[in-house]
Amino acid sequence: ATSITKPSSLTYPRSSFSQSSLTFNKVSTFRPKSLTVSCVMTQQPEAAAQSTVLRPDSLGRFGKFGGKYVPETLIQKKRKELDSILRDYVGRETPLYFAERLTEHYKRPNGEGPEIYLKREDLNHTGAHKINNAVAQALLAKKLGKERIIAETGAGQHGVATATVCARFGLKCIIYMGAQDMERQALNVFRMKLLGAEVLKNQICIVVSTVVLEDYTILVRAVHSGTATLKDATSEAIRDWVTNVETTHYILDVRLIGVEAAGFGLDSGKHAATLTKGEVGVLHGAMSYLLQDDDGQIIEPHSISAGLNTRWEIARRAGQIGWLMGRNKFMSPFANCLFSLVIIYKNAAFKRLSRLEGIIPALETSHALAYLEKLCPTLPDGTKVVLNCSGRGDKDVHTAIKHL
Amino acid sequence: KKRISHTISTVSGEKNPIVGKFGSFGGKFVGEVLISPLAELESEFNSVLLDHDFKMEVETALRDYVGRETPLYHAQKLTDHYKNINGEGPEIYIKREDLSHGGSYKMNNVVAQAILAKRMGRKSIITATNMLRKPSNVQLMELLGAQVKPVEGSFQAAASESTREWISNLQTGYYLAGTAVGPHPIPTMVREFNSVIGKETRRQAMEKWGGSPDVLVACVGTGCNALGLFHEFVGDKNVRMIGVEGGGVGTNTGDQLHSASLVRGEVGVYHGAMCYLLQDEQGQITKTQSIASGLEFPGVSPELSFLKDAGRIECYTVTDQEALDAYKRVCRLEGIVPALEASHAFAYLEKLCPKLPHGAKVVVNCSGTGYNDATTVLNS
Repeated sequence: ATSITKPSSLTYPRSSFSQSSLTFNKVSTFRPKSLTVSCVMTQQPEAAAQSTVLRPDSLGRFGKFGGKYVPETLIQKKRKELDSILRDYVGRETPLYFAERLTEHYKRPNGEGPEIYLKREDLNHTGAHKINNAVAQALLAKKLGKERIIAETGAGQHGVATATVCARFGLKCIIYMGAQDMERQALNVFRMKLLGAEVLKNQICIVVSTVVLEDYTILVRAVHSGTATLKDATSEAIRDWVTNVETTHYILDVRLIGVEAAGFGLDSGKHAATLTKGEVGVLHGAMSYLLQDDDGQIIEPHSISAGLNTRWEIARRAGQIGWLMGRNKFMSPFANCLFSLVIIYKNAAFKRLSRLEGIIPALETSHALAYLEKLCPTLPDGTKVVLNCSGRGDKDVHTAIKHL
Repeated sequence: KKRISHTISTVSGEKNPIVGKFGSFGGKFVGEVLISPLAELESEFNSVLLDHDFKMEVETALRDYVGRETPLYHAQKLTDHYKNINGEGPEIYIKREDLSHGGSYKMNNVVAQAILAKRMGRKSIITATNMLRKPSNVQLMELLGAQVKPVEGSFQAAASESTREWISNLQTGYYLAGTAVGPHPIPTMVREFNSVIGKETRRQAMEKWGGSPDVLVACVGTGCNALGLFHEFVGDKNVRMIGVEGGGVGTNTGDQLHSASLVRGEVGVYHGAMCYLLQDEQGQITKTQSIASGLEFPGVSPELSFLKDAGRIECYTVTDQEALDAYKRVCRLEGIVPALEASHAFAYLEKLCPKLPHGAKVVVNCSGTGYNDATTVLNS
């Protein structure tokens, strides 16, 4: 059980990051009239045309969400080196693939329907989009003179991606993993070790402290619970980072946004639908929607897919979506009916893409693919839909087979 | 000598082979019933090589579906590993076939043949594969919609059974050869569809260092991935080509099991083609063994057999242990997990690099990803 600080009692950190030659990108103001969200099709194409990139303000806030409760990742100058690595090591650019048979599947009896394109992030080195982030952060760490990388992982995918880049860049790699996850994913633990990483079992502990570092106030809450899973590993990782900040860079995992896991359904109480059902609180350093009961205690999320099993999944980007949800009435009812269908169709979506296109998607990706069943019938003829095929699903075949 | 060099240039330049022979290797040693279907396949193959639409369709699929072109990656840490005390050594480049859809170079040939099969109006594809080592692959195949029929015995038995299946379905079925061993036009077809690897490498080498590679290294099972990389450069006398076969536990003693068809085999007929193969005194195919199941073929491509005899390629073996060490080395140094098959090519670098002049450009074909070999490595 955990207690969460309610938003009003927090102090906002001051802005400047004294360390370096690295600079912030210029922030552009988000215009509230625009409906555009990168993961959702709008029904008003003229609004979509006015879209601007949603950027945080200089404090890292999206309205009242987000914020620099932990030092933010900075944009780095050395694009050329990064581009070369993304091209020759990661294998970018990934194709934008016209999924002919999936498109056929969604054609209505009169032959009309949208055109489905898949952004093939499954083709990246390590089989998912995660490496993009890991590579850039490893380069960042080297530039900052860090020798030591820490990361947390749930199912092991982020751990393997992090260990991969550490091997490539010659950085010492430490992965924190929940004890339960380590047992379930023994093969991934082996893989990380082959790549030279040290994999540390999460030590269950309670640390409640506020640490002031330079200009930042970092709120660290490590969670004590019986589950020993990703959220515990995350807290442990933050604790390590705070202790070793001079030498250590924490490779944060940017997770999927847009489609949440509905678990056993939104009314069952057993789900991970943070955005739909959660309320505002702070966990792991960023204000976001959380699943909490009336006393402010965190409710355990539930989902078949380990990668979508924690609020930390959403915390990094929830600020963006949460702000939009608050500001834009159009989104809310839309979002509510979106998420409840996910569990029913996810496994079918996994199988459908395998059969129709010979691409086995990650179970996480299958959530987005499942949504096409709901979305496509509403789209005008010829609409171009781009779905992010965020990872490949070889790792998920065993799990999925049981439910097919 | 003159005749050999003439034939090398024929091999390197050939687009429309008539006889399907590489010197005395290759050919069509098959029963009467297969002569006509093979002739039809050959005719279709020859015609698509000149067909712009076919080429465009294959190129689009290779680009958008398979994810080509694959990078030619400069492996700095592996390069540093092979530097001697003076800081001298070759430059190691890795051709990243592990990044292809499906995790290996095999998709190149499969995609092209599938498009060919559709053109021929065929409705079903028949092929043979080895399921013993990786039962999880069966689950994947079925998930993708395939019907998997188990066959008792080795890959040879599966190949024979699938040929029988094809013969009883000649109108609607298409036999998709996944190896470079078989009756003409199969070896040529499989090589041609894999040759994109070498063509890309030539272009990428020119972009990166303004020249050609000095040495090409690839593992050899039946020779598809090796030929895919080598074929483009056969006519370039200054490009060394090295094929590395599975040495199993070790080839020093005659009793020990391995899969070194080129290094230790003799000439014979295997799967309808004259080639090097592993056979005993009675001419029976011997049992093969390698930690890498993809290298466990007793026969090898007739074209590679010819190139070996002509002295154009060098062939060596590495042991299971050397391959395992190489797997771990590449993981640790580059964060790339090579297939156990490809690990054989990486293993040979240990012997090769100390002998190379400073700055020599070595391209190693990372023919597939070894992500799923982790269990084998763990158990070893």
